[in-house]
Amino acid sequence: MAIHERSLVEPERILRKERLVVEGIDVSGDWNLIILPRVINDYDLDFAKEIINSPDGKTINQCYQCSYCTASCPVHNYWDERYNPRHFIYLARLGMIDELQKRADVMWRCVSCHKCTHRCPKGVLVEEVLKVILRTMAKKGLIEEYPSKKFDKFFTEQVLEYGRIEDGELLFGWIEKQGYKVVKDPILKKPIPFIGETPEWLKELTMKPIKSMNIGFLMLNAKHMLFHPRTKNWNRFKQVLRKVMEEEGALAH
Amino acid sequence: MGVIGKRVAYYPGCSLEGAARAYDVSTRIVAKELGLELDYLEDYNCCGAMESKNVTFMGTMLLNARNMSLARKQGHEVIVAPCNGCSFSLQRAEYFLETDRSVYEKVNALLREGGVDSLDKIPHTYHILEWFYHEAGPQKVKEKTKRPLRGLKVANYYGCLYTRPHFYARTYAHAGGQEEEVRPRKRDTADDDEHPYYMNALLEAAGATNVEFEPMHTQCCGGPHSLSDEMVSEKFVMMILQTAKRNGADIIATECPLCHASLEMYRHRLMMKGVPDVDVPAAYFTQLLGLAFGYGANDVKLKDNLSDPLPVLKRLGLA
Repeated sequence: MAIHERSLVEPERILRKERLVVEGIDVSGDWNLIILPRVINDYDLDFAKEIINSPDGKTINQCYQCSYCTASCPVHNYWDERYNPRHFIYLARLGMIDELQKRADVMWRCVSCHKCTHRCPKGVLVEEVLKVILRTMAKKGLIEEYPSKKFDKFFTEQVLEYGRIEDGELLFGWIEKQGYKVVKDPILKKPIPFIGETPEWLKELTMKPIKSMNIGFLMLNAKHMLFHPRTKNWNRFKQVLRKVMEEEGALAH
Repeated sequence: MGVIGKRVAYYPGCSLEGAARAYDVSTRIVAKELGLELDYLEDYNCCGAMESKNVTFMGTMLLNARNMSLARKQGHEVIVAPCNGCSFSLQRAEYFLETDRSVYEKVNALLREGGVDSLDKIPHTYHILEWFYHEAGPQKVKEKTKRPLRGLKVANYYGCLYTRPHFYARTYAHAGGQEEEVRPRKRDTADDDEHPYYMNALLEAAGATNVEFEPMHTQCCGGPHSLSDEMVSEKFVMMILQTAKRNGADIIATECPLCHASLEMYRHRLMMKGVPDVDVPAAYFTQLLGLAFGYGANDVKLKDNLSDPLPVLKRLGLA
C-alpha cells in the first residue's frame, strides 16, 4: 500500500523490507509495508476551544479534511512539503500539541496568499485559523520565537507608536534586528543609510536613486526617516488600542 | 458602469506616501484624466497590513474601523485603496463587522472611547483597479489615449489579495441585526476569481499587448515575509519573473506597492546572483496608463522604480 502523505508518518514507525519471501511468496518492497500503530493520550481539548472562541478562528470546526488548502498552498508545493495546512488543522482540533511542536520550524512559513481560504469548499477561513493556531501556541509558550513573529511585532509596535509606518525605518530596524550593525545619528537616533553594515544587495539597491540623481525621491524619504509620519489626534486612540491589545495578550511576549 | 460612484474616499496607505509615491502620483493623474475624483482620507492610520493581524485581532479591527469612521465623517460610503494589503485589510474588517455582531458592538464602543465617531454604516472598500474599470472602463481609456503603448508587451501581475479570498472581497455577508446569520451576496463589480482581467483590459485599451502570464499572475511574491523569510520570497519572485521573461514580456505591470517592492528587491538580488531570465522591470499600471495619456516619464515618476523600466520604454519610443 502506498502511503499518500508519507511525510506525516515518522520513519521509525514504517516497517518495510526491500527483499522478503514468506512461504514461497515474494512480498518484497511495499507489499510487506507495515505502519506501527500509536497511542495518543496527551491531547489537550482546551486548545481547540480557545481557537473556536476567537472570532477569526471559529470556522475551524467546519473543516472536513479535503485537503484543498494543502493542494493549493505555494509553500507546500514550492518550498517544504512538511508545511501542510490540513494537517495543522487536524492536529489543532485533536489538541495534539506535541505533534504541532514538532512542526514548529515550518508552521510560521505561511505567506498569507489566501489561496487556501479562497478555495476552501466549507468556508473555513484557513489562513486566519492557521494564524490563530500559531498565536495561541505562542501565547501558551508552546512555540519558540520565529522570524515572522518578530517582524509582525516590530511592525505592529510601529503602527501603535505613530499610527503609520515608514518604509526606511521598518527596513533598517529589521536589518538591525537581524544582527547587522546599523549606524545611527547621535541626536535623533535614526539609522543612517550607506554607512553601517547592510546586506550587499540592499546597499546597491539604496544607491540606485543616488546614481540616477532622483532628488525628489531622496528628499521625501530622508524627510520621512528623520520625522516619522504620524497620524494626528493619535494619542487617545493609541491608548484604547494598547488596552485592547493588552487584553488579548498581544504585547506580553 | 457607474456602480461604485465617481467621487470616493481615497485611502492611499502608508507606502504610497513614502517609497511608492510614484504610484500615488500616477494614480491621481489617471483619475483626473478619466474624470474621477479622489477625496483624500484626512488623518488616516495604517491598516495593519498583513503583519498586525497575526498579532492582534481586535487591534486590526479597530485600526480599520477608525479609517472607515473617518470616511463616513467625510460623507463617503465607498473607500478606494490602491494597495492590495490595504484593500484586503479594510474588506476583512468589513467582513467581520458585518457578520459578527459582537465584534461590531465592541468595536463601536471602543471607537467612541478613542474619540472617533462610531460607525453608523459600514463603508465598502474597492481596489482602485476595480474602480477604474467600472467607473471609466476600457472605452474611456481608449478615448483618452494620446500615445498608444504600441509594441509594449506587458505581463499583468495582480498579486494575491486582489482576488482572494472571495469571502472578503466578493461574497460578503450582511448580518442585518441577526447574530451570525450569513447571507452571501455576490458583489458584481469584482474581478474574476481565478482569471482576473481588469488590468489586461485597461492596458490593452491603451494599446499594449498582454502576454500569457497564467498562473503566475496571482502567484504570491512572498508578501508579508519579504523581509522575514528571504529564501521563500526569492524563490517565488524568481518564478514570477522567469515566467514573465520567458513569455516574452518587456515589463511587468503591478497594482500593489508591496508586490512591486518585493519584485524589485528580489529582482536585484537574483540578478546579482546571476540567475537567468529575471531582468524584467516592473512599473505600476497607472504609470503605464499615464504614459499612454501623454504624460512624460518624469510626470509619472518612472525614475522612482528601482528596477528601471526607462530603457525598455525609451527603446519603444514611449517615454
